[in-house]
Amino acid sequence: MSYGRYGRPALKNSVDVQLQTAFTDSNWNTVIRLADKRFKTLKDPYYEAIRIAAESQLDGTTERCTALIAIDELVKSKAVPDYDTLELLEWAARDYLYDTEYAETLGPLRARWVKANPKSKFSVKCLQSCLEYWDLVSAQQIATTLDKAFANSGDRQYMFWSITLTYLLSVSPQCSEASKKVYSLLVVKQLERAADITENAEKVESKDRGLLQEEEISLYYRVMLSHGSKEDFISRMQSPKLGPLAQLKEGRKDLFYQALNAYESWGEWDRIYDLCRQALRLGLDGVTPTFSVCDYKVWKKFALAASKSKDQETALGEVQSILKEFIALKTNTAMYKKNIALALLDTAFRQPEVPGSSGNDSGVTPRVIQIGLYLDSYFDKLSAFDDVKDFVAELSFEEVKGLMEEVLPKMLEEKSDKSSQVILKSLICKLRYLLTTCTQTLSHNASVVDGQEQDKPYQCRLCSTLTSLPCESCLRSVVTEAAQIYQQIVDDSELLAAIPRLDKDPRIDLALVMGNSILKLSGLRPRTSDVAPAPLRDVNPSLFLQAVLVLDTQLKVTPSDVALRLLLAQLYLLLGCASYAYQIWTPLEVKRTIQDSLSPLFFDRISSLSPGLFTGTRPLMEPLRSYYNNSLHSSCPLRIWDAFSSGSYSSILEMTEFDSKLRRSCTLMMSIVEERRATRAFGGKIECEIGDLALTENIDDTTTLLNKTDYGSFVNLESPHGPPIQEFLRIGPELSNERAHLSFLSEQYLDLIHHKPPKDHRPYKPSEAALKERAYTFETLSQLNNSLTSFIHRPTTPAALTSPEATYYTIISLLSAAVLTALSTTRADPYPSETMSVITSSIRTAFTGLRTRFTSSSSSSSSSSTNSTNGVDETFYSLTDMHTLSHVRETALAMRHSAAFVQAWNDRELARDRSGKSTLHKDGLAELKALDAMAAKTITEVKGHIQKLKEQLGGGGWLDKMLDWTFGGAAAEGTTEGEGEGEKTAKVRKAVEDVVGGREGAEEWVGKVVESWGQGVKGWGLVRME
Amino acid sequence: MANFRQFRPDDLNKFSKCNLDPFTETYELGFYLQYHAKWPSLFQVAEDQHGNIIGYIMGKLESSPDYYKFSEHYLPWHAHITAVTVAPEARRLGIGKMLTEQLEAAADANDAWFVDLFVRSTNHKAIQFYKSMGYSIFRTVKDYYGDHSSDPTKSSEDAYDMRKPMKRDVKKEHIRENGEKFEVDPSDVW
Ligand SMILES: CC(C)(COP(=O)(O)OP(=O)(O)OC[C@H]1O[C@@H](n2cnc3c(N)ncnc32)[C@H](O)[C@@H]1OP(=O)(O)O)[C@@H](O)C(=O)NCCC(=O)NCCS
Repeated sequence: MSYGRYGRPALKNSVDVQLQTAFTDSNWNTVIRLADKRFKTLKDPYYEAIRIAAESQLDGTTERCTALIAIDELVKSKAVPDYDTLELLEWAARDYLYDTEYAETLGPLRARWVKANPKSKFSVKCLQSCLEYWDLVSAQQIATTLDKAFANSGDRQYMFWSITLTYLLSVSPQCSEASKKVYSLLVVKQLERAADITENAEKVESKDRGLLQEEEISLYYRVMLSHGSKEDFISRMQSPKLGPLAQLKEGRKDLFYQALNAYESWGEWDRIYDLCRQALRLGLDGVTPTFSVCDYKVWKKFALAASKSKDQETALGEVQSILKEFIALKTNTAMYKKNIALALLDTAFRQPEVPGSSGNDSGVTPRVIQIGLYLDSYFDKLSAFDDVKDFVAELSFEEVKGLMEEVLPKMLEEKSDKSSQVILKSLICKLRYLLTTCTQTLSHNASVVDGQEQDKPYQCRLCSTLTSLPCESCLRSVVTEAAQIYQQIVDDSELLAAIPRLDKDPRIDLALVMGNSILKLSGLRPRTSDVAPAPLRDVNPSLFLQAVLVLDTQLKVTPSDVALRLLLAQLYLLLGCASYAYQIWTPLEVKRTIQDSLSPLFFDRISSLSPGLFTGTRPLMEPLRSYYNNSLHSSCPLRIWDAFSSGSYSSILEMTEFDSKLRRSCTLMMSIVEERRATRAFGGKIECEIGDLALTENIDDTTTLLNKTDYGSFVNLESPHGPPIQEFLRIGPELSNERAHLSFLSEQYLDLIHHKPPKDHRPYKPSEAALKERAYTFETLSQLNNSLTSFIHRPTTPAALTSPEATYYTIISLLSAAVLTALSTTRADPYPSETMSVITSSIRTAFTGLRTRFTSSSSSSSSSSTNSTNGVDETFYSLTDMHTLSHVRETALAMRHSAAFVQAWNDRELARDRSGKSTLHKDGLAELKALDAMAAKTITEVKGHIQKLKEQLGGGGWLDKMLDWTFGGAAAEGTTEGEGEGEKTAKVRKAVEDVVGGREGAEEWVGKVVESWGQGVKGWGLVRME
Repeated sequence: MANFRQFRPDDLNKFSKCNLDPFTETYELGFYLQYHAKWPSLFQVAEDQHGNIIGYIMGKLESSPDYYKFSEHYLPWHAHITAVTVAPEARRLGIGKMLTEQLEAAADANDAWFVDLFVRSTNHKAIQFYKSMGYSIFRTVKDYYGDHSSDPTKSSEDAYDMRKPMKRDVKKEHIRENGEKFEVDPSDVW
């Protein structure tokens, strides 16, 4: 449905004042009366249309339909409608005209009108209207008509509207596959013809039908790339007029990039080499401004292409010589200098391996020297680490030693001022951390010794200890070193005073290095569904808490640091402190447009972590909901007409594509599902079934839902060869097509079993209605079951879910099968006992697994037993694994509600048909009842568990307990795990204490963590358990 | 580490480095798309090697509507900078300047009289930035912003309307000295 492009249309001037006034004043009854009178006297059907338009403004259902009926009649009549009548009727029907209906009615009427009046100024309005309802078929017809009518007028716009729309049709679901092919051929032909005119003309004038403006040529490139052959494209790119180089001379960089990207996708490296070389030459010769060619991307592709050349040496030599010429240019801005410096670095890494560079000689190879040169100029820039990271990770071990033991220490010696020294030192710390994530620092040791598998199968080549990945001994040294530098800064007032003048406060980097190292030491690893029973179960709690504490302490000092905030928000979610995480998240002001890519960082799975957050004064999901509603309210891509009227053809294609992706956003699905789960948790009313929402209208099993989460603002110190930092921090796998579909389908299942016919609803023919309902229910259940099963069994699904999620979705899918079987087996039918018992026993097994995972922690938490190795009691694990508890509850309730649904069905059948023939088979009912009993018992356990947590948190002594958990209690001072281990942990603990100000320094933080746990559990206390 | 190119709507999913910075406002989707639709070449971005957007400029070309023609505040054909921002990690490398110069080139190519923009009167960094490129204050718009960026006790803040003449303005008719002293109301600016 559309919300109307323009307001109420003006009536024709010929209409008398009385009627005009009534119309303007919305006096609909008067309008109806007057229009009817005028129609009778004047016999002008326009008055009939006015009457109908007025009638549709009244409330009754029949009145509302009159406009639609009138429109249908116009369609059938085959006559050319009157323009003002069309406007009136379209306006009258605006609120209940679906896009598909438009494409069958008003769209074709508009097209018919334009065909008859191509030169009218209203023709463009007709096009605009079709676009607004995204009726591409009619829009394309109109554009083609306009193009023909204005072919010789010099108004190029019509021609390119027509081409653009033909292209859009050729890729649109509004078109059959066969017509798509026809339109594809057509659009290619049209553009080739236009290109040929340009090629053959001496000069293209605006009146010619050739390609002239950048947007037109861009359209040509895009269409050729998408619909033409590779050979055709490449041959057309050689053109001295329309080729990328010629266009670059005109300053049209976008076309140059389109060609480069296409060549890259085809692996045409020689062409890339030539194109980059010629483009950079243009820059050197001053033909093109450096702005157009000096991008890092161009350099990088150039060097890479050279390294793939047959004559690698000459080609790389050419790269270097062009680079040198650029360096000699005086006009370079800082940015270009930096790009060039990076390009030099890149070229050094593309050189063939020099003999001896990886031998026993010094590791100070040309590559290492180049890194040194780069860092010498840019070490104090915020981006220095990111700039060199991938290069450092590529070094051989000898080179690593050369860099870390010769080049950098020497550079450090040369820095005379204190701030430069600490900045460089913290950069070195970051590099040392990076190296713990790089495999070249490890050498393989025997993985089996005397028949015994070794848990430390590597030797670290940097510190010589036996280790597994990452090297813990190196990590510990990084921690202590970072802490020392940190202390050095804090103790030096001169350094502190210098900080505001620096690119970045080095304390942030140091805290991040410490935090990351300690997290790694704690054993935090990326979680996939099959590992760790709970997020923090395999993690050393004390180290984990220390890491959080260090980072939190730093955030207090530098509250505006975005990376710290993002990291901490994730860590607090892991720690079960959702309300505190939310406090940290909120100042980031993720709002409006950036929500789609950023809100998953906080809101994904939030209802399973802390439903209580939804009870705040501000509806948690409201900003997301209104973003999607505002952006997607009409099926026409937002602002598309602006692009048409401005002749921005490439924008039209991009905006259409973006719109289609936004409609398929995993974040959108996440926001709907999270909100529904929370609403249910608090017994709220769900207004609309999920499948009936406008936002899910076009989503079916074949739709690929897209995850667009933006991790760009995380500080990622990890090597490019391993998982990025965000994978360590999430509760489970990120948003995905699989998970989004499973959640969507499960909600549909819940909608079905929660559906209650309105109480006062008395169908006219009860048995007919019952049959219909039956057919509908069976059909839906069987569809849902098919879809759920197929998504669950996709090979990519297990990696997309946490283990509780996997169980939940599996059980929902099984329940749909169980319910379907129970409903379709009446008393009279033979009971499919085998099928049913397979289904129910699968449910039971899966549920028992989930329940065990949860009860194992809940039973021990009751005893408050202290976990001997980790020093924390089970409360810690319970508080950090509400995700499991939540899925136990959701699953148990789904089982209970499924059973209730089947029972209610049976009761209704019994009431309807006293003979009892249509009641359900008692065995089916019994099996569901058994599931219900099992679920009911577990729900009681869940309640007890929450109650216990509440009591535990309500008890005293939390300050000491938490401080002990964090820093270790009395035991920490000594010898629990052998002298060696104790010393090592003590080293880290000491470093942390130094930075945070000891146990006293941590007290306020403890308060916040415990309070947030309390709030979370309080929220759980309000959650409905039925 | 930077590439310059025209904005694409997909870039909105890579805006975090710029837009999580408190000095950068985030708008509704339609606002960005309107600029991309109407003035695609005046919406340029700088991206880093991972595709993150580390700077962008959004601008438009326009004149005041005709019914303003006889007002003393009428603005002839000119380019306007609606937003310019550079991610903290990429500042002071000339990215902001290059983005602005690119827009000025487009303004010249479209025969604009001048380029103008509004900036909070307390955003000293940005004012310095514009001044370094030849912009000067043309007038002060009193209480243009409905909030204050640094002083929570204040409910509004003035804007400077800054301008730089383009080639067409040979006689420099569209700028003036001591522009700060020319105070106007928000209702006077269009
Ligand atoms: C204003 C801003 C866009 C500048 O971007 P930038 O890429 O760092 O600026 P440049 O490197 O191109 O600077 C060009 C010149 O402007 C001046 N300048 C820029 N930032 C400055 C600062 N913080 N202090 C003083 N002068 C500054 C300098 O003269 C500089 O040249 P120099 O580095 O050779 O001395 C950036 O700081 C920013 O995004 N700020 C937050 C958003 C904002 O305020 N936008 C303006 C809203 S109207």
